[in-house]
Amino acid sequence: MKRSTRLSTPNLIAGSRRNFLIKGGLTTAAALTGMPAMLFSMNSEARAEGEPIPVGQCGPTTDFAAPDGIEFKNGLTLACEEINALGGILGRPLEPSFEDTAQMGDATNVQAAQRLVDRYGVHAILNGYNIGSGAAIQEVAADNGIIYVHYDTTIGHNDLVKSNPDRYWGSFQGDPAEYWYGPGFLKFLQDLEANKEWTRPNNKMAVILSAGVYASNIANAVKEQAAAYGWEISLFETVGVPASEWGPTLAKIRQDPPAVICVTHFLPADLAQFCVQFAPNPTPSLIYMQYGPSIPAFRDIAKEAANGIIYATVVGALQDEIGTAFEKRYKDRFGANAGHNSGAQPYDGAYVWATAAALAGGSGEPGNADQNRKVAQRMSAMIWRGVTGTTRFMPLENAAYTYPTQTNDSSLGMPHQFLQIQDFTKGPGLIAPAPYGTAKFVMPPWIKA
Amino acid sequence: MSPVRRDILIGLAFLIAAIALPLLVPGRYIVTQSTLLFVWAIVVVQWNLVLGVGGIFSLAQMALFAAGAYATAMLGFYWKWPMLLAIPAGGVVAIVVSLVVGLACLRLKGPYVALLTLAVAQVMYVLIVNDTDCFTTTGGCMPLFGGVRGIGQFGDIGLRALFPSKWYVAHYYVALALLAVAIAFSVVVIRGPLGLAFRALRDNPGYAMSRGISRFKYQLWIFGVSAFFTGIAGGFYAVHFRVVGPSVFSFQLLLFLIAMIVVGGLGSIWGPLLGAVLLMFADEAMKEFSDYRNIGLGLLLAVFVIAWPNGIVGWIDTLRQRRRARKAAAELSR
Repeated sequence: MKRSTRLSTPNLIAGSRRNFLIKGGLTTAAALTGMPAMLFSMNSEARAEGEPIPVGQCGPTTDFAAPDGIEFKNGLTLACEEINALGGILGRPLEPSFEDTAQMGDATNVQAAQRLVDRYGVHAILNGYNIGSGAAIQEVAADNGIIYVHYDTTIGHNDLVKSNPDRYWGSFQGDPAEYWYGPGFLKFLQDLEANKEWTRPNNKMAVILSAGVYASNIANAVKEQAAAYGWEISLFETVGVPASEWGPTLAKIRQDPPAVICVTHFLPADLAQFCVQFAPNPTPSLIYMQYGPSIPAFRDIAKEAANGIIYATVVGALQDEIGTAFEKRYKDRFGANAGHNSGAQPYDGAYVWATAAALAGGSGEPGNADQNRKVAQRMSAMIWRGVTGTTRFMPLENAAYTYPTQTNDSSLGMPHQFLQIQDFTKGPGLIAPAPYGTAKFVMPPWIKA
Repeated sequence: MSPVRRDILIGLAFLIAAIALPLLVPGRYIVTQSTLLFVWAIVVVQWNLVLGVGGIFSLAQMALFAAGAYATAMLGFYWKWPMLLAIPAGGVVAIVVSLVVGLACLRLKGPYVALLTLAVAQVMYVLIVNDTDCFTTTGGCMPLFGGVRGIGQFGDIGLRALFPSKWYVAHYYVALALLAVAIAFSVVVIRGPLGLAFRALRDNPGYAMSRGISRFKYQLWIFGVSAFFTGIAGGFYAVHFRVVGPSVFSFQLLLFLIAMIVVGGLGSIWGPLLGAVLLMFADEAMKEFSDYRNIGLGLLLAVFVIAWPNGIVGWIDTLRQRRRARKAAAELSR
């Protein structure tokens, strides 16, 4: 078994918390302005110098989703470093291990997760997302009695956990299911029109999806509810992944220009190519995407063609005091171009789990389901304000609430963020929901023209 | 020592070592990786019958593996079959698929067989991943073959419930038993009259047919029997991981398994098993190197193809022949 203590910083808490804060400087102080302070106070005089606790992550560090996979790895790395600096979990430092899921089929994901258990004996698997059913790694967690936190953003997780809470008690989806993208988007368009910020030229909407459960669930949710909002689906097209050649799809759009183009495929490089190929001959359509444009690689590839694109994410770092402090720490650690929005997912997930484990008196190794059940109970009861907003798990489904569609209290749900790229050289503007918004909607340049 | 006697001794030695392994090694990692090794070994031992012994350049073996795995999973998911029935049924489905592929290949030779069988596998893959329509909405939108997500939640063979903390050891022994049967079958085929007929058809089809060996009959036979064990291995794989998805069609996995046969020794009895062990070790050693892992495996394959084209077993045979020749020459010179 490979054991590295490179990330463990057992002597950071030298003498007292006061000393630690002075030594840690602003960076550590920033970390303690939010909920991590709770973990720090629980650790009291404990130091992260006990037997390390192995934790794992299986994510796509190679292949087409590698830009995200690398950030997931970074997010967990940073969280472990910070948690270790705070004293670990009751004095035991976290030791992360990683497995690659490359193209992320369920079978690959399960094998990678099983390897984390078999090879490293991880107490928890703290993932970003993996494409697939979002309902497979839960079997590994259940068979081995460990905790699994992921950001697969799929209703498959909710359905699975609900079907047998006694078996899947240890699996948590740190963000809301993808289903909420559908109703949330239609509501967003309605609000734009109500506020007279945009007027639809016709009732047509083109929906473009990729062959995957995530993209198709969102597309189907939009398709099902479009009529209720006065929309007619003029194009419903499935593209292969990776989708770098958009000519045939764009030809159909140009032949019958819709008022809205809704792309539910989510890989940044593919979406950037869509923008680049759309820009030379645009249609007067609002372009909505989700998730992909939040990754810096999207703006790097699309450049000017990215200006005006609207996108949404049900999970991402907020542009507020906690979120921007995290962004700074993240970029200081991993470089100016690092994608903190992806890293934020396992970062928050790791903190939620670590704090719950400390509250439960420690985490359990594979097979120690009794201890891990206590950790799961603490997680279920927790309301965690992290860098992505509020994490509060739905009872019996173990998935985060979304705000404002599921709850109208912003302190009780994770914000479904709508963002617009207004200047590709800068970060996007958060245009909804209140009170998190930092910018106003701007008409895309191709519609203005 | 007769070849059959030698095979029995080698087989027994392997079996005893494999039975003892979980009792000797600490932790579970080696045991679980060995279970996967046994699954791949079943596939390559059977593939070797078609590719090495029959001389039919078929690349459909992973499609047959997938047919067995998907059939097992679908029988469990849609019709709630118990897995102990669904796995053999998966083997039968694999036979049916292989007979269709075998019939389509009857008039083809060499690279054309490879192209056709690869095309069949790719068509199956594309049909599965591009299927986004909901066949059922139980547990979310579920395409007929599971689409990109694959199929899960189809049941278990019951060993997880029987041995809660040691289920992986139980699965190890099941996989070992399946491999033992698959190897025994392979030995019987290769050492018996069937193997002779296959080799005759491979090395001189005109002469073989003039002696009354029917290409039609034997080609279908070899496709069918090798598919059964491959399908069973697919079914067990699905049950072991509790999921089956389109990743079983991946070209990378196909090449990995071909490499096992080539490195071990194409057409030999023990070559594929040796190749599987070596490649699994090499793969494991290179897991930390991310993208370089595939390059490393490619280099290993290239080295074997150039330096030892008959694989490890062929190389050992050459050494033994040289030793015999030297011995004979020494005796003559006395």
